[in-house]
Amino acid sequence: MEEKIKKINILYLLGYIFGPMAICAICFLISYLYFPKGNGAVILIMGPSLLSIIWWIFGGSQIYKTVTRKFEKELDSKGFNRNQTFYGKGKVVIIDANKGQIGLVFFWNPFKTYIIPASKVSKAWVDDGKGGIGFLEGSSRVSFLFIVDDIKIRVDTFTSNQRFRMDSEYILTGISKADMMVKMIEEARSNCK
Amino acid sequence: MRSIFHEDWCKKCTEVMDIKKKQLYMLPVLVDHYVSHNDAEYFKKNLIKVDKKADIPAGYYACGIYAYHCPECDYKCVKLSIFLPVRDQEKYEDTIYFENGEMDDFIYNLDIASNY
Repeated sequence: MEEKIKKINILYLLGYIFGPMAICAICFLISYLYFPKGNGAVILIMGPSLLSIIWWIFGGSQIYKTVTRKFEKELDSKGFNRNQTFYGKGKVVIIDANKGQIGLVFFWNPFKTYIIPASKVSKAWVDDGKGGIGFLEGSSRVSFLFIVDDIKIRVDTFTSNQRFRMDSEYILTGISKADMMVKMIEEARSNCK
Repeated sequence: MRSIFHEDWCKKCTEVMDIKKKQLYMLPVLVDHYVSHNDAEYFKKNLIKVDKKADIPAGYYACGIYAYHCPECDYKCVKLSIFLPVRDQEKYEDTIYFENGEMDDFIYNLDIASNY
């Protein structure tokens, strides 16, 4: 039986958030018990705290970028023709339209990459995020979505903390990218044997 | 000055110019990857003739070419209007004018262009 897609590796997510906290707590305890003052205490308190902050800011994205680069090389070596690669926020979607295959990488599950036949995609569509009425009509998020193994995967092509009119250049660019990716997924589906 | 606000007005005598040729092309550049070019050779090499916007795949740019001629002062120019077609809307990217006949061989030999 084929393995189902997992967007989030819970262990990695919890480890990412609470791992550094646990290390800091152990270091604080050691400092409290054995080095109540002096250089040892400073190192044991400041070192893990700074490293934790650096890890939370840069650690995840570095792992994600490294895994994505490695995955792309792996695909190339397997003869996967990367017709289209979309680097979304927290997700990378790579499509070989001719062979009908899709490669996936998830930020919160970076140690497991997926190459799936496009026939596993049961539906693909664009969500332009349109909301509001009259002059308030607009969107702050455009994305394309597809369903694999009953799991909905949403990849944003545009996000903002402001709402833009539907004819704004940002929204139109986002819709264009999303339309292109959906067309590509559908083409891959039709070419998948 | 007035001709700045009216694209079809002659910039020398401000007369309304005739459109001698009008054609839509596809520019095979993906969305967000457009880089402005002022070289006519680039467009001659890359433009692909299409009949309508629907023939352009999603995510690719379109280029509308208009060849203008002023009936009063015989001024000629070619306007390239580059835009991204998005469903029923257009996102304008660039407008380029060629005033020295750089594109004439391309637009007046459309059969050759379409066979490219």
